Amino acid sequence: MISALLKFFNNGFLIFIFCVGFSQSVLSQKLKTKHLIEIKNMKFVPSELTIHKGDTVVWINHDIFPHDVTELKNKEWTSSTLQQEKSWHKVITKNEDYYCSLHIVMKGRVIVN
Amino acid sequence: MKTIKLITSFLVLTILLITTGFSQENPTLTDPEVASVAVVANQIDISYAEIAMKKSKNKEILDFAKRMITDHNAVIEQAVTLVTKLSVTPKDNAVSQSLLENAEKTKKTLRKANRKNFDKLYIENEVAYHKAVIAAIKDLLIPESDNAELKGLLETVLPALEAHLGHAEMVQMKLK
Repeated sequence: MISALLKFFNNGFLIFIFCVGFSQSVLSQKLKTKHLIEIKNMKFVPSELTIHKGDTVVWINHDIFPHDVTELKNKEWTSSTLQQEKSWHKVITKNEDYYCSLHIVMKGRVIVN
Repeated sequence: MKTIKLITSFLVLTILLITTGFSQENPTLTDPEVASVAVVANQIDISYAEIAMKKSKNKEILDFAKRMITDHNAVIEQAVTLVTKLSVTPKDNAVSQSLLENAEKTKKTLRKANRKNFDKLYIENEVAYHKAVIAAIKDLLIPESDNAELKGLLETVLPALEAHLGHAEMVQMKLK
């Protein structure tokens, strides 16, 4: 009987831990914010954006010209070409400097707070 | 090198003279004339880029030229859509004719240039040409446009021309 009770509480405790962990995970997912950077008039707007680690940044191209979003220093990542009204997103976990490799004067920065 | 400098200086000067001349003798360019100048100015830069695509081996020059072809074609496409919507037929005029005449001289110089000098000549001309066109749009075409949508298109094009100018200047610095 005691052994059955212990087994029940042990399993219950594991379920409790699982539920807490799961809800925290769901909560943290829900807290991740989505940010929008518009590409218009040959500029990233805003050109500098501060976010929390793990937030998602969405870039949308409103220009009539094609653009891309490419990591500045080593081209570690790129959106590839975005035609008018096309968007692309990326989960950002560290500070990122980026530019449009098609129009190299267009630059932007995402800062992780 | 001197020839291309002369041609580009002449081009800038011509546009300024025409601008001044128009403001003194004929205070208005009609919207069909503004549309014609806008389309011609874009076509000219595409024609320069096409020469560069054939003559240059430099990646930065080729990337820039490719960009000019794509972007200026996008502007022409927008202009054609707009004039079709407005039922306006672009009308040839003194400014567009002068642009074309000078472009012929510049293209001749670019075609004759040896491969060694071509890249510098091309990008130097791009810097001068974009400066001249930006000035013409700001000081002539936008003020002369009556239709709000035509004015809006010209205003939309300005940041692109300024970005092209910045890009051309960066390539020019690297070639020095």
